[in-house]
Amino acid sequence: MLQNEQEYIRILRSRLEGTLPTDELEDIISDYSEHFTMGKENGRTDGELWSSLGSPEDVARELRVMHLVKKAEDDRSCKNIFHAVVATLGLGLFNLVFVLVPFILLVVMLLMIFVIGVLFTVFGPAAFVYSILQLAGLSAFAIWLSPVAGLFISTGITTSGLLMIIGDYYLARFFYRVGIRYLKWNIGVITGTECAA
Amino acid sequence: MNIQFKKGVLEICVLSVLAHKDCYGYELVSEISKRIDISEGTIYPLLHRLKDDGYVTTYLQESQGGPPRKYYQLTENGRKEEHEQKDEWIQFVASVNALLEGKNYAAE
Repeated sequence: MLQNEQEYIRILRSRLEGTLPTDELEDIISDYSEHFTMGKENGRTDGELWSSLGSPEDVARELRVMHLVKKAEDDRSCKNIFHAVVATLGLGLFNLVFVLVPFILLVVMLLMIFVIGVLFTVFGPAAFVYSILQLAGLSAFAIWLSPVAGLFISTGITTSGLLMIIGDYYLARFFYRVGIRYLKWNIGVITGTECAA
Repeated sequence: MNIQFKKGVLEICVLSVLAHKDCYGYELVSEISKRIDISEGTIYPLLHRLKDDGYVTTYLQESQGGPPRKYYQLTENGRKEEHEQKDEWIQFVASVNALLEGKNYAAE
């Protein structure tokens, strides 16, 4: 493969197209092509410049991750954070352990709290109605020792279910913010390729 | 040297160079790679991020006989950030050096 300016820019462009908005893409391309131009004015060859820049694939990967994390920060959504995490995984094996594992654990935990919350908010009112039926002597068997206690307990269950769902929402927001900060720190430290020269 | 070390200090290096003078990309990259052995390609993404974060802005300036060059300049926020990171770095290095030289143990 020919290691010259055109090829470098071509690879960079093809890897970044579709992810970065056009103006940002052109901004970056102009940086790298200026680098080649200046380098050659200073008597360096295409090959030297290529290897001191590091492979265009690596550079593109880093820029992509950076952009996706920034996007997830500015526009919070499940889709965006998912894309950012997946892109970060591409940066190295380290991140499988230190990004993917915590991410999955967090998602599972948040989902579990949500599911339990929903179950409580469904079960609570049902139990409340049942207790009333029991008080009125309409139910066949008792689920509570005393139907009056049942009214209090089912109210408690409903309330804690609702609190869990609300709390889960704030917890998710909190972890989203912390997660973004962690990803930013992570790409600041982890990425980068050893200088080939 | 360990790549993680270098990557971590790259930001403060870029901010420091820009605190002294505005630079165009190639100039900045040469300034840094003269002293730190790092792939030059990683400095541009960093510049891009600093620009996103509002620490750095760019402007075009004519050059003699060539196309206009893109200069990078610290913003007010960037200057503040540079001061803070520099102070933190100096303290950090002093503490690490003290540990490495075993001064703390000798004092006890």
